Amino acid sequence: MPNRGPLDGLYFANAYVNIGGGYEPSIFSGYQVCREVMRDMEGGGRDTVVMDRIKSQLAEQAGDAPEVDGTAVESVRRAVRYWHPRRVALKVDGIRDETPSTRTLRMVAADPPLPGFRAGQYVNIFVEVDGVATSRPYSIASAPGEPYFDITVRRVPDGFVSEYLLDRVAPGDVLESTGPSGSFYHEPLMDSRDLVFLAGGSGITPFMSIIREAARAKPAFEVQLVYGSRSPEDIIFEAELKELSERHPSLTVDFVISEPPPGWKGACGMLDAGTISELVGSVEGKTFYICGPEIMYMFCADALRSLGVPARRMRREAYGPPADVTREPGWPGVPRGAEFEVTELRTGRTVRAGAVEPLMNSLERAGIVVPAVCRAGECAACRTRLLEGDIFQLERVHLRWTDRHSGYIHPCMAYPLSDLRIRI
Amino acid sequence: MNDYDVVVIGAGLGGLSAATFLSSEGKRVLLLERQGVPGGYASSFTRGRFEFEISLHELSGLGNAQDKGPLLRILEAAGVAQRVEFLPIPEYYRSVFPDVDVTIPLGRENFEEVLCDRFPGEADGLKAFSATMFDFADEAIRANRAGMKDVAKNPESYPTLTANFGRSLADVLNPLVHDEKARGVLGQAWGYYCQPPSRLSFLIYALGTVSYIRFGPWHIKGKSQALSQAFVDTIEENGGEVWLNNGAGKILVADGAVRGVLAEDGTEIACPVVVSNANPVVACLDLIGADQVPSWYLRRLGAGSGGASTFNVYMGLDCPASEVGLRNHETFVNTSYDLDEHARLMRAGLGVAPAEAAVTLYNAIDPDFSPPGTSVVVLTLIAYPDPWLELAPEHYIDAKNQVADRVIGLAEASRPASGITSRR
Repeated sequence: MPNRGPLDGLYFANAYVNIGGGYEPSIFSGYQVCREVMRDMEGGGRDTVVMDRIKSQLAEQAGDAPEVDGTAVESVRRAVRYWHPRRVALKVDGIRDETPSTRTLRMVAADPPLPGFRAGQYVNIFVEVDGVATSRPYSIASAPGEPYFDITVRRVPDGFVSEYLLDRVAPGDVLESTGPSGSFYHEPLMDSRDLVFLAGGSGITPFMSIIREAARAKPAFEVQLVYGSRSPEDIIFEAELKELSERHPSLTVDFVISEPPPGWKGACGMLDAGTISELVGSVEGKTFYICGPEIMYMFCADALRSLGVPARRMRREAYGPPADVTREPGWPGVPRGAEFEVTELRTGRTVRAGAVEPLMNSLERAGIVVPAVCRAGECAACRTRLLEGDIFQLERVHLRWTDRHSGYIHPCMAYPLSDLRIRI
Repeated sequence: MNDYDVVVIGAGLGGLSAATFLSSEGKRVLLLERQGVPGGYASSFTRGRFEFEISLHELSGLGNAQDKGPLLRILEAAGVAQRVEFLPIPEYYRSVFPDVDVTIPLGRENFEEVLCDRFPGEADGLKAFSATMFDFADEAIRANRAGMKDVAKNPESYPTLTANFGRSLADVLNPLVHDEKARGVLGQAWGYYCQPPSRLSFLIYALGTVSYIRFGPWHIKGKSQALSQAFVDTIEENGGEVWLNNGAGKILVADGAVRGVLAEDGTEIACPVVVSNANPVVACLDLIGADQVPSWYLRRLGAGSGGASTFNVYMGLDCPASEVGLRNHETFVNTSYDLDEHARLMRAGLGVAPAEAAVTLYNAIDPDFSPPGTSVVVLTLIAYPDPWLELAPEHYIDAKNQVADRVIGLAEASRPASGITSRR
């Protein structure tokens, strides 16, 4: 197919399957197009002889084929819309109290159907609170295949977004979210059949999706859930989990309470090596999944390592910025109150950003939108170029090699250490 | 007054390349890209501690300072090559069948020697085939420079080209080489070109094979993402603009000519030239509108059929490359010799076991490809669109897992011949 398209001024560069997609012909295609554009521009427009030749050549190749219709493209689009929509409009259908500090918002599709997802994934929900546009990721707690997403929200002390979702959202409200995202799901190609879920507090939510899905059909795996909470009233989904474990021999549930009241007969303490070992027994052949508050990740991972669990048998959900970045390894000791000037080149704005707040949060407070999905450093949706200045980036942030070497940062988990010039 | 001289739609290799060369020529260029990273297929993605190369197996046309290939020449001229470190791959590929294990070396003499050594009974035919291939490629390159009119006027200067023009690989190879094993080894890379030997144009096969044997296959430090970023940096340094997270929504047309583009965020851009890296079906039906595109072009598109793509299993292994049992960057494993039959099986549907796969061990040429103690292996199958287009979106995940399981099984089963080790 020729590079010159059917209209004046329209060209196609490597727009066709080009020798299996090899890089050399792909790059040469762009190079040829440049030459053709230059030739046409210098000639004051397209050579009509060339276009007539193209037209007769293509008309001959067309034979008696009908005009292309969009069937194949539409088929691909349907699959992409189902699995990877950029945005989903979620309407609040009902609200249920789970515990004194937790509610479930049952969301249906404002524009059906809901996208598909793998049990354990999350959506990033966009909100505007007191004039500030921001977002927070929440695991989908319901099983895939239902006509709703259950978003279970726990109140976070001084939590900007959780307070909004718990206190100011009502049935009928429509919220926008990203499509389902994340890799915290059972991967049958790599994970074993014996699964151990280590859940802490509101970290139970992705596990509920997996457990609820497994309960519906003959499960491909066995689950032992070890669920740590501070007190018995904090346990979310307690009755449902007890009922499911009674009905399904492939599910066992252990509740572990760290501040047990008198009379508590179950397991006590934190999810440390001792507790895990006692409840789980041998770790041989088991895949461990961890999801919970920040503090839990640190000692759970250490506990599992000390019990001899190899890296490939440890799956961790991404978690966002720390409660106190000054306690992270490598923190350079900048004073808490330090503030810097950040100039953002795309909007042309200069804003103030504090040293102990993620750069993304400061930008949002100043009304600058940064693309966001995971807000935990691993998805690269927020990738931003740092042109001048120093930042502190958390160790667990996953940057592409090229981005690391070209000065890109993930502002969701980056902290300013000086005045900055950035470009979103 | 136009906003830009050229708007390029899509930052895949074709768009990046067109935008780079046009901006080098002093044109005011805007490149629109829907995703947040440049490159399209020429990029990478992260999962956990791994960063996976999406598509690049072996880069052709580069060569080195002593013998520069055509791709290196144009990338150096544009200032792109200087931003990137290319990594040499010391052989073309290793071809493993039940009774054959041949590694194709670089350099014409080595190539002929290794094949004649392994298939001594076919030595004469192999040398004749090699001569035909190298002469054909040589003449094709001369013809490209002199123009096809020169070939018509002086056919005696292009004897091999004129004798074999329009023939398939099988047409040229089979009369000269009769051993199906030798034919299998020589045709092994058919997947790179998406057509099996009986349908693969000898022109394409010869140009590609000669390029790899003469200039060597190469990879890139930082993966293909580094090359894509190098294009972006060059475009910007030339005064061009790259907008990410903002693709094209519409191509604006007046009186049968391009007049501008409407970006996804609603920005209207005036320009006399549009280069589309988006495929022409989407460009004509969605971006322009069928009513603005001449019928002969739409019928030519209607006469086309879906090209092949690939199905890939990206594996991050928790063992060093030395324990995987492979020595080479690119190993093909096969259960049988008839490559045309392999292609037929790949079209036949998702339930059919594949007969060949490419196994790429990236750490073989870049020890820093993944964290210490780990390695990356990618399994690649050629995939034709029809079986996947027929699938309902809800069945996609299970279908993917089944095909992946089969191709992993194929690689594991090749162990006696290939040496691949695995532990699941």
